[in-house]
Amino acid sequence: MIGRVAGALVAVVTLALPAVLADSALAVYILLGLAAMVTVGVSLLMGYAGQVSLGQGAFYAIGAYTAALLALHGVPPVIGLVAAPVAAAGFALVIGVPLLRLRGHHLAFATLAMQLILLSLAGQLEFTGGDIGLQAIPQFSAGSFEAGSALAYAYLTWAGLALVMLVTRNVIRSRPGRALRALATSETAAASSGIPVGRYKLVVFALSAAFAGLAGGIYCFYTGYVAPGSFPVLISIQYIVMAVVGGLGTIWGAVAGAAAITLLVQGLNSLAALPGMPSYAPGVLSYAVYALVLVLVVLFLPRGLLPAVTGRLRRDRPPVETR
Amino acid sequence: MSAFLTYLLNGLAVGCAIALIAGGLVVIHRVTGVVNFAQGTFAVVAGLCVSSLLGLGLPHGVSEVAAVLVAALAGLLTGLAAVGRRGTTPLSSLIVTLGVGVLAYAVEIVLWGDQPRSAPGLAGAVTLAGARIQTQHLLVIGVTAAVFALLALFFGRTYLGKALTACASNPYAARVVGIDTRLMGLLAFALGGLLGGIAGVLVTPLRPISFDTDVTLIVNAFAAAVFGALTRPVVTLAGALLLGVAETMAAGYGYGSHQLEVALGLMIVVMIVQAGRRPAISQEQT
Repeated sequence: MIGRVAGALVAVVTLALPAVLADSALAVYILLGLAAMVTVGVSLLMGYAGQVSLGQGAFYAIGAYTAALLALHGVPPVIGLVAAPVAAAGFALVIGVPLLRLRGHHLAFATLAMQLILLSLAGQLEFTGGDIGLQAIPQFSAGSFEAGSALAYAYLTWAGLALVMLVTRNVIRSRPGRALRALATSETAAASSGIPVGRYKLVVFALSAAFAGLAGGIYCFYTGYVAPGSFPVLISIQYIVMAVVGGLGTIWGAVAGAAAITLLVQGLNSLAALPGMPSYAPGVLSYAVYALVLVLVVLFLPRGLLPAVTGRLRRDRPPVETR
Repeated sequence: MSAFLTYLLNGLAVGCAIALIAGGLVVIHRVTGVVNFAQGTFAVVAGLCVSSLLGLGLPHGVSEVAAVLVAALAGLLTGLAAVGRRGTTPLSSLIVTLGVGVLAYAVEIVLWGDQPRSAPGLAGAVTLAGARIQTQHLLVIGVTAAVFALLALFFGRTYLGKALTACASNPYAARVVGIDTRLMGLLAFALGGLLGGIAGVLVTPLRPISFDTDVTLIVNAFAAAVFGALTRPVVTLAGALLLGVAETMAAGYGYGSHQLEVALGLMIVVMIVQAGRRPAISQEQT
C-alpha cells in the first residue's frame, strides 16, 4: 500500500518536474530516463534470469541506428520508434539462441565481444555512415505533432520509462516471472520442475534488449545524430553499475540506481568544469565514481541500495505484538 | 615466402604477449574461480610505468623489473578487493575486477594522460632465412618460453606451487590440510599481475599503449584462455599463438580491418562448442 502511494507520488512529481526545469537540467532528466529504461532491462536479466550481459550498449546502439536509418529514409518517426525495440529484440533472439548456451563469465565476455564486433562493423560499413555516423536525423513527430523542444522529449522519455516499468512489473508477477526466479537459483532444479529454461532465458534476453532498443530510439531523435563513438563499452558497464547499485531484480531499484549514478556523475562533471580543474578531470571523475561505487556496493551492500534502505526502514518500525 | 616467415614470427610474438596475459587469467581462475577482468590492466600499468621510468633516465633492466613489480602489486591489490572479503561469489568478484579495471582508468589518466605512450625496446633486426625480424619480437618469444617453463617448474616442483594447485582442484580439501586458500588466492592474483606486467613491458616497444588498450588485451587473452577452458595453461599457450598468428596473417595479407571480428567470432564459437559438451549441472555452484 505504502509502495503504491510512493509510486504514484514519484510519478506525479516526475511528470510535473520537466515543466519547471531549465534546458540543461532537462537534458539530464532525459538521459536519466533513458538510462533507467536500459537499467530496468539489465536488472531483470541479472536479477531474475541470473545472466550478466556486458553488451547492453549494443542493443541500445541497434535501436538508435534502426530508428535513425528509417527516419533518414523518409519513414515516419513513429514507425521508426516502434521498429527500434523490435529490431533490438529480434537481434537478441537470433544471437541469443547460441549465446545463451553460455553462462556466467562466458556469457559476459561473449556479449562484450558482440558489442565490440557490432561497433567495429558500424564503423566500417557504408550504410551506417562509418565512424562519422548518421547525422541530421529529423525530429520525432507523430501526425501533426512535432517534438521540437527538450520538453517534448522529456515527456516521451517519461512515457517510455513508464511503459518499460509496467511491462516488467507484469512479467515479474506472472507465472513465467516466478519460473525466472527459480531458474536464477538453479537451472537444473528449474528444468526438473518442468520450466522451459532455454525459452524463458531467451525471452528475458530479448525483452531487456527491447527496452534498450526503445531507449536508443528516443536517444537518436533527441540528439539528432548517432555514431559508433556514442556507444562505448563503458556505457554497458555503466548500466551494470546502475543495476547493481539500485539492487538487482527490483524495478524501482533500477530506476533509483540510474538516478543516483546519473546525478552523481552530472554533479561531479559540473564540479570538474570549474575553472582551475585539469582538462582530464571530467573523465577521471566519472571513471572513479563508476568504479568505486560498483566495488563498494558489490562488496558491502550486495543486495543494492534500495533494498538495503527499505530493509532498514522496515526494521526500525516498532515490533508488532504477536501474542 | 620471406614475407610469410616475417608474419609468422611477428604473429608468434603477438601470440606470446597474449599468452602471458592469458596465463595470468588461467592462474587466477584455477585458484580462485574468478575471471579477472582487470588482467589487461596489469599489462597497461606495466607498459606505462616502463615508458615513464625509461623517460626518467633509468637504465634498461631496472626499469623493466620495477614496472613488472608495480604490476604484481596492482595484481595483489585487485586480489584484495576481489577475493579478500570472505563470501564473495565468483560472479561478484568478476564485477569487482571490472570495477578495478575502470578505477585503473582514472589513475592512469591522472598519472600518464590519455595519449598512447611507447618505450624503446631492443633496437635492430636480424635476418633469418631471408626474413627481417625485429630483435624485440625474438626477445618476446624467448622471454615467454622461459616464463612458461618457470611456471611449469613452479607448479610441478615447489611446495607453494603444489599448494596453489591444491586450492584449484579442491578448495575444501585444501583447507582441511591446513592451506590458507584466501592467502593462496591473493598469491594467485599477484602472480597474475606479474605475468600481465611482463606482457606489458614486452609489448610496449612494439605497439604504443594507452589507458584503454586493456579491453583489446583482455578480450584476446580471454579468447586464448577459453581454448584451454580457463584451466589448462598449455592449451592456452597454443590458443594464444594460434590467435596471434591468425591475426597477424589477416592483417599482413590485407584483411587488417577485420582482425578483431575474426578473433572475437572465433572465441564465441569455441565457447559455444565447449558449453555444448558440458552438462549444465557441472557449471552450477553448489
